[in-house]
Amino acid sequence: MKPLHARYPFMAGAREAVQEASVDLAEVVATDEDVVERALERVEWALTDGTVGDTRRQTRVELLSYPVARVIVSTVDEHICTRKYAQAEAASAHERFVEELETETELRSTRQQHLSLDALLAEFDLGTAVRETGDGFRVTVGTYLELAADQWGDEWRLVNRSLVDGEVPVDREELYVLLKQAIRHRVVDGLPLSVPDVIAENLDEEVERVRETLSNMDLTTEIDTVVPDLFPPCMKHLLDQVQKGEHLAHHSRFAIAAFLTNIGMTTDEIVQLFEVNPGFGEEMTRYQVDHIRGDTSPTQYSAPACATMQSYGDCVNKDDICEDEINESHPMSYYEHRVEEADDDELTDWREGAGEDGDDDSDESPD
Amino acid sequence: MEERTRAYLRGRFGDYYRRAELSPPPEANEREWGYIPWTSGPGETMVRHKSMLDIGAIEEFLARERPRHVYFSAGRYDDPSANSMSKKTWRSSDLVFDLDADHLPSVTLGEDSYAEMLRKCKGALKRLLDFLEDDFAFEDLTVVFSGGRGYHVHVRDEGIQTLDRDARREIVDYVRGIGLDPDGIVRTEMRGNVTARVLSTEGGWGRRVHRRLLEFVSDVESMAEDDALERLQELDGIGEGRATTIYGAIQKNRDAFEAGNVEAGGVGVRTLVDSLVTEVVTDENAPIDEPVTTDTNRLIRLPGSLHGGSGLAVRRIPRDELDDFDPLVDAVPETFTSHDITVELDEETTVELLGDSFTLEAGVVSVPEYVGVFLMARGQAEKGQE
Repeated sequence: MKPLHARYPFMAGAREAVQEASVDLAEVVATDEDVVERALERVEWALTDGTVGDTRRQTRVELLSYPVARVIVSTVDEHICTRKYAQAEAASAHERFVEELETETELRSTRQQHLSLDALLAEFDLGTAVRETGDGFRVTVGTYLELAADQWGDEWRLVNRSLVDGEVPVDREELYVLLKQAIRHRVVDGLPLSVPDVIAENLDEEVERVRETLSNMDLTTEIDTVVPDLFPPCMKHLLDQVQKGEHLAHHSRFAIAAFLTNIGMTTDEIVQLFEVNPGFGEEMTRYQVDHIRGDTSPTQYSAPACATMQSYGDCVNKDDICEDEINESHPMSYYEHRVEEADDDELTDWREGAGEDGDDDSDESPD
Repeated sequence: MEERTRAYLRGRFGDYYRRAELSPPPEANEREWGYIPWTSGPGETMVRHKSMLDIGAIEEFLARERPRHVYFSAGRYDDPSANSMSKKTWRSSDLVFDLDADHLPSVTLGEDSYAEMLRKCKGALKRLLDFLEDDFAFEDLTVVFSGGRGYHVHVRDEGIQTLDRDARREIVDYVRGIGLDPDGIVRTEMRGNVTARVLSTEGGWGRRVHRRLLEFVSDVESMAEDDALERLQELDGIGEGRATTIYGAIQKNRDAFEAGNVEAGGVGVRTLVDSLVTEVVTDENAPIDEPVTTDTNRLIRLPGSLHGGSGLAVRRIPRDELDDFDPLVDAVPETFTSHDITVELDEETTVELLGDSFTLEAGVVSVPEYVGVFLMARGQAEKGQE
């Protein structure tokens, strides 16, 4: 078992390493608490944070926690859990491989086996579908569509791409995003697994924990009402900052944009809502909002949970609802709670009062 | 349709199939087959979920069953005869395009003749092929006259076989120019210390828009200044001030336009590009029928079979013969060209087939069999007594 496999446990080589070591998963699950704990963490973080958390130092624990996490996800067998889990594995891997590939060679430690872009492409059978050119990469159109069709953002639409001779030009950063998708597909592939009882019965507790987390998140509720007055205090605060033209840290900007997207707002509406401040840079906001949406498909990501908001210092002005009603679970739960409690005639959708001022025809301004 | 008409057509379709040499699509045994028989009563009921095992050799089946319409699936399955899609277990699917004259914006229904509709449809087909062959560089293309109001293109390249619905919708949007964002085909480049907005000239819709921009520039260059300014002001969002700036930029710096630099000439040139984008999409898109392309389980007419609504043959068209292909000549089955028959017409009508135009009075008339079959299949005539 190599550290490389622990970092990228979805790779074929990692699976082989596990097989070669003749690991009995049933035994691991029954006896190795560290592995099970890390596996549960992978899934829980996937649901609440969108990543699988930090790697453990022991290669064995890290590597084996991946198949065990897949077993947990399979036993929970909820579509949303599987989806978020695969997405989080991909997001974490993306972060790792970008860092690894972008680190100058001389700065790398020589002890460790390192990932190369070629190896990563070969792992996903993309060696012939992707070729490097002077100014980036070309991806064959079939492969591009397989990996980009569920990306959000107009810039990913094939119609806006310089498709020529069956190839789509992409830059390095975009290629990394496509690889992230390939990883997501790899992780999702085969899920849910059919889990033998001997393994499942030792994971009862973990599966129960994940179910609990899922029900607290209440991700299944579809909400499509925009009433800024009912926003949770953290989001109100962030929106205020935006509208005043304050500079927000990336995570804060992500949080507010993701929240607004989750309650059903489009990029256009978000841009419009943000536009209250005079120093507002529309293009930048649009870019960022699209980028956030573009990371994954709209139903696949959600605003950070309270725990994440707290760790980034974005949890402010906590009120009774935060503490007593939603148990500091998720800003979405707060908003849903408020919307449910409110009388229907109190609920004036912000979008119904807005939208008349979209006419910014500035024709014949001096050239 | 009366029984004797139906019986006649079915019999003659059988004669056609006994002589026809059909080549089935590749992996015919992994596909679902379906057909619509010549039955009476309202509505047409398709017999489907058949496999090659169920129907046997395709030519024998057609000669025996003599169906009104026959189809095979774009999709390939583990079990093509299972009677639900989930039980079939999908493996892969050809990418299929359908151009139907009924759906073309350029066609005026009730005004354009059948020949005119098909001519316009062929124009759209050529635009579609331009996308498929140049932009997508697909290699395994089969172009087919549908026997009815349009054309089909079957793409069987390896790279598209497993694309899902969403990915196929991207292809639809591409050839239709849906969602084309003027900003999307313009990228920002560093030119020394300043950024410049440059139209993508190497491929995609950017190349098409660029081509149009250069044509426009050449047009304007060839005009007297007053005419040029007037022409520019015809565009949305361009008044006298911007027209003058653009005109100046064209005079001064044509090279910038050649390079796709839309910074030259300021805001006016951007407006010019925006309005050309709309024009280019309108003129150059291929208005295919979206659901056909996105449906990975679609049933499509079998090339070589007869279209029961026209009596014309569904013809594969070799790529190098497309220019000369005339559906109203080349899709007329030879079997129906040897003698005349009698049909009863409800009202007078005109038919163009095999290079002739037949103007027919209402009542009992004697016509070449292919004209009679065409009219009967379309429901405009019944079989008369010989």
